[in-house]
Amino acid sequence: MIKRGKLEIIKDILKIIQENHNLIKPTPLLRKSNMSSTRFKEYFNELKEKQLIIETKKEKSKQIALTEKGNRFLERYHTMINFIEEFEL
Amino acid sequence: MIRQISSGMGKMIIANLSTEIIYSFIIIVCSLMIYFGTKELYELSSHKGIKYFRKSFLLFALAYFFRTFIKFFVFYFNSQGILSISPRLLNPIISQITLIFFMYFSSMAIFYLLYSVNWKKWNHENRIYLFHLISIILSLFSILSSNPYSYLIVNFLLLIFVIIAVYTSYKESKKKIKKNHNLYIIYVLLLFFWILNIVEIFVPSFLQTFQLFLYLSSLGVFLTILYKVIKKTGN
Repeated sequence: MIKRGKLEIIKDILKIIQENHNLIKPTPLLRKSNMSSTRFKEYFNELKEKQLIIETKKEKSKQIALTEKGNRFLERYHTMINFIEEFEL
Repeated sequence: MIRQISSGMGKMIIANLSTEIIYSFIIIVCSLMIYFGTKELYELSSHKGIKYFRKSFLLFALAYFFRTFIKFFVFYFNSQGILSISPRLLNPIISQITLIFFMYFSSMAIFYLLYSVNWKKWNHENRIYLFHLISIILSLFSILSSNPYSYLIVNFLLLIFVIIAVYTSYKESKKKIKKNHNLYIIYVLLLFFWILNIVEIFVPSFLQTFQLFLYLSSLGVFLTILYKVIKKTGN
């Protein structure tokens, strides 16, 4: 199995949120992202820090949604990968 | 007769300066377009390779600014009588200062380009401090060294280091199946500038003879990279 790159993992997490009508609870996101909880937490915090996702509280439960930047990331993902490959960065 | 010769020389200086300004201006614009054109990709991805790639072109823009524009400002202020310092005194000082900055920024640009393609292998932020240190030493050495050959040797040692890095990356890249090898355009640029730095300082007459060819080749490399960046970023 080919190891996923960091950008690919981020894309996968964001895609799960987007496909879930842009609102998902942390537990199903962890399950669907196919990662260990420690690794998931690292990515989750990083995504929040980079403002790609936002955590909201709805009826006492935490919900995760994509920010505008998160949506833009998904739109530009292939451009990013092509650019990195083109210049072998 | 003397007046005619000095007027002829003045025209030649202006023509050379104009060519250099146009050349530098295009390189600065290209470099800044690459830097700002990749801004969004970096902001979204925080990818280290993109970060160093962008920085490298910002440093190229700065290097060329110092290479030409300060010379131009001084020439302009002198000719307009805005600066009252004697050109005989001012010109060597300005050329030494611009040389320091040009050497520092261009060396850093080359190191950042190398780092942008090798950052995974050289996963050590300390290397950047080393690059700064080498660039500072190199730029100071360029004006302090009384013996030009010692400076030439230092430059050639660095050139050997760059060639080894290029060759290693090329060998690794050959193992992967790739559609193209644009990386090597960057490496050509990189080597080209090292060679230019050395030649310009030690054999100025050589550069004068081939100046237009060198300027055009150099512009060609920058424009090719800019074209590829625009094509890939869709900006």
